[in-house]
Amino acid sequence: MASVWRLSVLCGARGGRALFLRTPVVRPQISAFLQDQPTPGWCGIQHIHLSPSHHSGSKAASLHWTGERVVSVLLLGLLPAAYLNPSSAMDYSLAAVLSLHSHWGLGQVVTDYVQKDALQKAAKAGLLALSAFTFAGLCYFNHHNVDICKAVAMLWNL
Amino acid sequence: MAALLWRPVGRYCLHGHLSPRLCIRNWSLPMAMSIVHRGTGVALSAGVSLFGLSALLLPGNFESHLELVKSLSLGPVLIHSAKFALAFPLMYHTWNGIRHLMWDLGKGLKVPQLYQSGVAVLLLSVLSSVGLAAM
Repeated sequence: MASVWRLSVLCGARGGRALFLRTPVVRPQISAFLQDQPTPGWCGIQHIHLSPSHHSGSKAASLHWTGERVVSVLLLGLLPAAYLNPSSAMDYSLAAVLSLHSHWGLGQVVTDYVQKDALQKAAKAGLLALSAFTFAGLCYFNHHNVDICKAVAMLWNL
Repeated sequence: MAALLWRPVGRYCLHGHLSPRLCIRNWSLPMAMSIVHRGTGVALSAGVSLFGLSALLLPGNFESHLELVKSLSLGPVLIHSAKFALAFPLMYHTWNGIRHLMWDLGKGLKVPQLYQSGVAVLLLSVLSSVGLAAM
């Protein structure tokens, strides 16, 4: 899947300190885009396509990336909110956001380490099943058992 | 400086005739922290999945399981350490996650900043885990 990276090249007031991603030797695949060295006074945004792929997939990949960040920020906010204001709605949203964040995170791990096509499809399917069961289990726990927030409090009071 | 700390790791690889894939790399703090971020993420996901699946599959409710643990009469030190062991991966992953989100905004990508923010994340993780374990 194509990933679009936006690199903001900062014009340092201190005189252009090197951005850590900029290397003197550029790999062939991306040299076409990085051949033009930015002039010292150049400030701007450089779009780099890192992997060739079906262009129809790049929009989906970009949305996926943004979705991942949104969910991460959401989870970050939910943790203190659930502590300060435990409620049933909080428990269910925690279950949903936690399951989704972990599903997408493990998806990245699978993408990185399982390269063969058929094996990756199988791994992704297994991951989907695992995440679905996890979410179901968390909701079941919320419904029939103690609430998640209360459960953590009880565990911590051991 | 970080390279000096990691050199013994490379030497160990060569002594053990291990695959050079890990040895030829110059390990660095950002690199190690990145793999730990992934490791804690996978561990946390495994924990959450285990929790969810056991809610579906195991008999008995949560209170009965807690009573079981209470009946083991584990010492306070063990309980404290267990709480720290649970809290640390979560705190590390959370603080490093914030560091990742800062990078996504384009901030703090210069190399010295990488090391500074890395050390800050490690300190915050330890402090917040100790604080949580004490609660």
